[in-house]
Amino acid sequence: MAFAPRLLLPSRCPPPASSPARHGGRTAPELSGPTPRVVVVTSGKGGVGKTTTTANLAASLARLSLSAVAVDADAGLRNLDLLLGLENRVHLTAADVLAGDCRLDQALVRHRALHDLQLLCLSKPRSKLPLAFGSKTLTWVADALRRAANPPAFILIDCPAGVDAGFVTAIAPAEEAVLVTTPDITALRDADRVAGLLECDGIKDIKIIVNRVRPDLVKGEDMMSALDVQEMLGLPLLGVVPEDAEVIRSTNRGVPLVLNDPPTPAGLALEQATWRLVERDAMTAVMVEEQERPKKKAGFFSFFGG
Amino acid sequence: MAPASVAVSLSFRVVPPRPCRRRARWPRPIRASSDGSGVANGDRKVGALEGRVGDLRAVVASVPPAVAAIKKNIGLNFIAGFCLGITLLAAVARQVIIRIHERDNKGSVADLIRRGQLKSGQRGIAKPRVYDDPFNNPLVKIDEDTSTAQVFGKEYRLAPIRLTKEQQAMHQKRRSRTYQWKRPTVFLKEGDSLPPDVDPDTVRWIPVNHPFAAASTEVDEETAKQNVYQKDGVPSRVKAEHEALQTRLEASNNVNKFSSSQRNMQLSDRQLRLSSNESSGSRQNSLSGTVKNQNGQPTLESEKRSPDNNSQSKSLEEQ
Ligand SMILES: Nc1ncnc2c1ncn2[C@@H]1O[C@H](COP(=O)(O)OP(=O)(O)OP(=O)(O)O)[C@@H](O)[C@H]1O
Ligand SMILES: [Mg+2]
Repeated sequence: MAFAPRLLLPSRCPPPASSPARHGGRTAPELSGPTPRVVVVTSGKGGVGKTTTTANLAASLARLSLSAVAVDADAGLRNLDLLLGLENRVHLTAADVLAGDCRLDQALVRHRALHDLQLLCLSKPRSKLPLAFGSKTLTWVADALRRAANPPAFILIDCPAGVDAGFVTAIAPAEEAVLVTTPDITALRDADRVAGLLECDGIKDIKIIVNRVRPDLVKGEDMMSALDVQEMLGLPLLGVVPEDAEVIRSTNRGVPLVLNDPPTPAGLALEQATWRLVERDAMTAVMVEEQERPKKKAGFFSFFGG
Repeated sequence: MAPASVAVSLSFRVVPPRPCRRRARWPRPIRASSDGSGVANGDRKVGALEGRVGDLRAVVASVPPAVAAIKKNIGLNFIAGFCLGITLLAAVARQVIIRIHERDNKGSVADLIRRGQLKSGQRGIAKPRVYDDPFNNPLVKIDEDTSTAQVFGKEYRLAPIRLTKEQQAMHQKRRSRTYQWKRPTVFLKEGDSLPPDVDPDTVRWIPVNHPFAAASTEVDEETAKQNVYQKDGVPSRVKAEHEALQTRLEASNNVNKFSSSQRNMQLSDRQLRLSSNESSGSRQNSLSGTVKNQNGQPTLESEKRSPDNNSQSKSLEEQ
């Protein structure tokens, strides 16, 4: 259930298998649409993986040399900075920009290893955003970034949980949305509501990421499959991310999962999602666990092979 | 952990056989190590010694089961211990290999990056990486003919997406009926009164303890917007503060000048000469400051030198 090919068209077939060791895939996805593309990552329900998704999409984009500004719009409980390993470098926030204490470019924290990745936090944990125009902050920010000398290719906004003022502020500048959900009915109901609100606001380009899928449970019909989720929401699938302990490890390390080498299942799924996002593509098939042929040998030898 | 377990295995292997063999030939070490009273009775009767050995056996039998097990099957134990030792050595070797392997890959980088300790270009992920196609690489193999995919060595069936455009539109229609919503554009604090020019539908009422509910706003909306759009130069508030400081500094300089000149009149000639030198120096400073101000570019010079907030205030302090 974890992965699916981007497209199953014959034209995208892998090149002839003459060199099985070397995989002849493309080296980067094709960027579709005018930039900067403003994407809000939202969910309704809390704790389903919005921040994880944002951090990984942003890191993956940056690694593809597509400049990205990740905006932590979760004013009350920010943690995108932690996932990107930038928590010690956030001194200035959008709130300081509004107040005139610094310029916008000074409030952007550039990742030291991924130079195309920048982080903007909305405010410091205990400081408060001005009420009168707080909701307009991100609209101005996105607009200012668009007019900057080097506009980013993507502005990814990590939305707070719920549908209150934080949500309103986060979605204001967005043109597309990534709706993260887990395959359970509570998350799905919230996701449906959020999709409704987004559509009311004119954001029609909504794609879902189904997070924390466990193929074994899906197989035993103890968990909804990504196809079930899609059937309930009626939205295109951007990705299906399996439950993966590496997610927590990467969170604790402050290094996004997509940078893991060797890749991890969730990291690879998020990377696939990034490629689809860049190409404005959706999944055409999902993977379903079926026959279990033990393939332990490959795993064992890959350990020695490095 | 691993070395400790090796030590344990060695002690099991080597130590136990020794006292067992010695027990028959040289009773002394046994006595010395096991029983204090045995030393006193050392060179007495052999029968008593036999009794002592019996006692000792009883003691040994009463101590932990591991020792008892060793005592029982001494012959097997050597082989078993040897095998155990080899196994543990192998396990340790494997652990070491894994550790080295991890270190090469990401472990150390992770540690350094954690808490932002890594300063000199985070090596692990800074190294240029060839972008693998996440859809087509050694870990992901998609076989379209059989509609199967092999991911991380596991085989999956490919189930095509069933959602059609019509269904998608239907869902959208359903939602538009269910959720009617207009994004609020005005945030107001709960309890505040509605301004006359605001549409109540566009208002979001914010509780007082919300992170958005700043107690007071020092800047108006237009200034805030300009602040966000500002591309270069000194941020507005920093600039304003700088100007305010500059004015205050000037004022205080003028006061100094005034008071020092007053004082000068009361001083003796020698002191007058000295102090006039000093005050002329400070006057020059203040004058140069005023000249700058009068040029209509009060902060531009310092702006160029130090666009940064901190260094700006520092330069002010130095003045
Ligand atoms: N695929 C996954 N596998 C395992 N754990 C996951 C996965 N995705 C997310 N998690 C874990 O779930 C927790 C919540 O994730 P995250 O912070 O990204 O959610 P969130 O939606 O941003 O939460 P909030 O609503 O509080 O902002 C984290 O501890 C994260 O490690
Ligand atoms: Mg979050």
